[in-house]
Amino acid sequence: MEHTPNHMVEIIDVSKTYTQGKLEVHALAGISLALDRGEFTALAGPSGSGKTTLLNLIGGLDSPSCGRIVLDGKEVTGLSQSRLADMRLNKIGFVFQAYNIIPVLSARENVEYVMLMQGVPAKERTDRARAILDEVGLANMHDRRPAELSGGQQQRVAVARAIVSRPAIVLADEPTANLDSATGQGLLEMMAKMNEKRGVTFIFSTHDKMVMEYARRIVRLKDGLVSDDTTK
Amino acid sequence: MELLMAWRNVWRNPRRTILTILAIAFACILLVFMLSLQIGMYEVMINTAVKTRTGHMQVLADGYNQDHKIRKVISDPEAVARILDDTPHITGYTFRANGFALLSSDQRTYGGLITGVDPVSEPRISNIKSIIRKGRFLSPSDTNSAVIGSLLAKRLKIDLGDELVVLGSARDGAIAATVLTVAGIFSSGMDDYDRSAIQIPLAHFQEVFAMEGTVHEAVITCDSLWNVGSAQTAISKAVAGLEQKRRLTCLSWDELTPGLVQSIQMDLGGGLIFYGILLIMVAFSIMNTFLMAVFERTREFGTLMAIGARPGRLTTMLVYESAFLTLCGIGLGIGAGCLLTLWAQHAGIPMGDAEGMLRQYGIPGLIRPKLTLATALAGPAVVFLITMLTALYPAVKVHRIIPVDAMRAA
Amino acid sequence: MHLQVSWRNVWRNPKRTGIILTAIIIGAWTMLAFGALSRGMMTSTLSNALNTLTGHIQIQHPAFRDDPVIDNRLTAPARVADVLEQHLPGNAAFAFRIQVNGVASNARNSESITIVGIDPAKEAGLSFYGDNTAQGKLLAPGDYRGIVVGQALLDSFETKIGRKLVLMTRDATLETASKAFKIRGTFRAEMEATEKQFVFITLDAAQSFLKAGTGVTSACIKLPEETTMDLEALAKTAKALARELPEGTAVLTWVDLLPLLKGYLSMFDSFMLLWYLVVFVAMAFGLTNTMLMAVLERTREFGLLKALGMKPSWIIRNVLLECLILLAIGLAAGNILGFATVQALSGGIDMSFMAEGSEFFGIGHLVIPYITLKDLLSVNAVIMGLGVLVCLYPAVKAGRITPVEAMSHT
Repeated sequence: MEHTPNHMVEIIDVSKTYTQGKLEVHALAGISLALDRGEFTALAGPSGSGKTTLLNLIGGLDSPSCGRIVLDGKEVTGLSQSRLADMRLNKIGFVFQAYNIIPVLSARENVEYVMLMQGVPAKERTDRARAILDEVGLANMHDRRPAELSGGQQQRVAVARAIVSRPAIVLADEPTANLDSATGQGLLEMMAKMNEKRGVTFIFSTHDKMVMEYARRIVRLKDGLVSDDTTK
Repeated sequence: MELLMAWRNVWRNPRRTILTILAIAFACILLVFMLSLQIGMYEVMINTAVKTRTGHMQVLADGYNQDHKIRKVISDPEAVARILDDTPHITGYTFRANGFALLSSDQRTYGGLITGVDPVSEPRISNIKSIIRKGRFLSPSDTNSAVIGSLLAKRLKIDLGDELVVLGSARDGAIAATVLTVAGIFSSGMDDYDRSAIQIPLAHFQEVFAMEGTVHEAVITCDSLWNVGSAQTAISKAVAGLEQKRRLTCLSWDELTPGLVQSIQMDLGGGLIFYGILLIMVAFSIMNTFLMAVFERTREFGTLMAIGARPGRLTTMLVYESAFLTLCGIGLGIGAGCLLTLWAQHAGIPMGDAEGMLRQYGIPGLIRPKLTLATALAGPAVVFLITMLTALYPAVKVHRIIPVDAMRAA
Repeated sequence: MHLQVSWRNVWRNPKRTGIILTAIIIGAWTMLAFGALSRGMMTSTLSNALNTLTGHIQIQHPAFRDDPVIDNRLTAPARVADVLEQHLPGNAAFAFRIQVNGVASNARNSESITIVGIDPAKEAGLSFYGDNTAQGKLLAPGDYRGIVVGQALLDSFETKIGRKLVLMTRDATLETASKAFKIRGTFRAEMEATEKQFVFITLDAAQSFLKAGTGVTSACIKLPEETTMDLEALAKTAKALARELPEGTAVLTWVDLLPLLKGYLSMFDSFMLLWYLVVFVAMAFGLTNTMLMAVLERTREFGLLKALGMKPSWIIRNVLLECLILLAIGLAAGNILGFATVQALSGGIDMSFMAEGSEFFGIGHLVIPYITLKDLLSVNAVIMGLGVLVCLYPAVKAGRITPVEAMSHT
């Protein structure tokens, strides 16, 4: 695979091995993959196929056993913890299956917190947070705490939080798994809109048929290897 | 934002937070009260010693304090008086002379310590006038009148107006003998003193004991305990330069009663050990709260790290949380501790059985703590330090959290 | 089965359990160790006081205590001796004394002292006399001219062994008696004040010096050491003696003779109980909080158990059992540490670095900490009893969890 700067993410011969007790589990067994700017890609496959591991590796939450990962033209492998933290802050947005928004902060504060860490001035923070929350369809719920929001609404906050930092790529780990299909569809439509309007690169991991319908490229994983790669 | 998060986090589990705050407050209340109590007691002990016997300072012949030998005198009291008149911070002074003698009434004979005092200046220095229980204190016109300790009077079986034969040895080694009339009976509450002390006019003492105008002690009071040190230095320097038969020294109250100072140190030392243990107990008591606050939120910390928070930021937040918790506890503790102390200061604490014993140290029936800025804040300050140190452990441990594992947890 | 389940639950979170156990252990340990140290100090103070010529019980003329003169003497000691020999337990000892106040003087000094006439054969072992001879030798029976004084007294009179010391007091005929004695030896006592106060001559010498015939002022009885603090037994022995003794004698225990000390010791006792409570409260906050956490994080589990049909009282019992396990482990380790500490200090703690301070409080120079059964029981009872009591709160809380709220709990 040639090295072109147009690739958003380059995964070069990456494998990941966990030890569970005495057992060695090969979560990824030497994957190579390139994702382009502005893609809306789904990583599909049964559970245990290595989807989440791959997302965690791309996001710098975990480091590969061997192989390299290049993000936006920059080598990720081997960075220090705080470098990785900075990279996640500025280049990556995360959306988790279990929402994972900070329970003690309101919707707006959750969104603002990322910008606070980026050093965005207070006024701009508030304005951008309001705008993005309106955009994800939470116009009247800026000041609600997570406990006062439904699962779908919480996930919208999580998407708003992931996008507001203007990342190069948003990694979403089974974002619809905890939602009913109607809510999940709404969320997906919203994300697809973001992808078109803002050109944000999205990568999902999923085994949800509906998500795959929305995706423009589907990469199927099986036993830690790419079994199929289809672009619509 | 971190402050806000910390504050909200503190109140996520109100029950636990309140228990922790109460534990911290409890330690503070106890420390404020106990320290005030100890300081209050020490002050009374020192004041009693200063007022009944020693004064703030004394000028003495070198060595007199060790053995109280009658020959170790200040040969020229006038010269000492001139120095004292010129020394700042001195509020008053009086001269005394002491001699040991055999005291005989009609029926009984006991040994006693006779002190010659100046009827005019003595009441300004000591509390003798206020502890007279019967009769009156000496007046300038008295010659062979005496005021006598209540227990000594009881032992000698004498009362006001009775006569008392004194037999001792004078400064020149000759026999010192006189007959005294009891003018007053005093009671300080300190049995040892009341059992042996007797005071007569200084002039009469000098005559009977062949003192030839000399005295043993110049007893001095200062405007405050804090100025004793500087005044002592000044007086020491001045009296050392005097032309006297014996070298003179100036001793402060703590040098005059080393037992008192050491006993205070001992009591304070014992107290400090107790407080130390108490603080360790409180530290362990609340450590679980801090630890749990981190561990049950591992997932949340994982998320924060995933969205780009550096570990240092998490530590800061946790330190804020502990600080809030601690400050609440300390605030409550200082408040309640001060109230309790002020109430006890007002009402006094009865000591029951131990009253008689405490009276011997000059502590009256009711113990009153004394609240000062130092006693109100010293204990809580240490509590703050200890709790923050305790909280630091989990706050630093948060660095070891690995986001992937953290998110998988819970 | 229950025990096993509870045991496993206790160790579900080893770190948390470890921390709270540490708190309980430190609590129990310090309570015991400091209890033992305080007992040691009390015993040291008390035995010091009893050794200073008080003994456990004294038999005196009824008026002697208020008016300690030779007039108030027991004129027929032989009858008293008969009664004592018959009615005292075999391991008790007694001796007669004459004890009056007087004056000692030589060319250098004169001081008020207490003249003690003793039976040289019997006195040793009854009081500090004979415990620690500094110079020279003790009195021999039938020595009419010898005197033994304290080392400090010898120094302050600037004299030495073999020199003369004049004693002066009032004799039984109300005349002033005065006689020169030859210093045979000096003794050392725990406290300097004791060395300066007492001078010893033989009982025979005292009787002839005071013209007291065969009379004595007191019989001093020493019971076995372990009965010292057993006030009930002491009172019983005293009462039994009083029944047998002839008219005109008073039986006084050390509690009667040293009322101040008794008050001081009982203050010490209540202070210790207070201290136990304070340490416990500090510990209780942590215990409640930890148990509360342990219960609340298992809300789902308790809900499930309830859904399966477990009664609230069973859940309460299980939680209390967990609490009991914690307390039992903590207490066991705390007790072991406590005993080990006391064992390690069984050589005694040298207080001489605070000589004047401890003398002020009447504590001897060597303090040997020891644990009494009563202290051991009260420490364990306080922690165990109150510990279970404070655990009731989280236990009841757990019992009240309903399946519905448990399932909605994440």
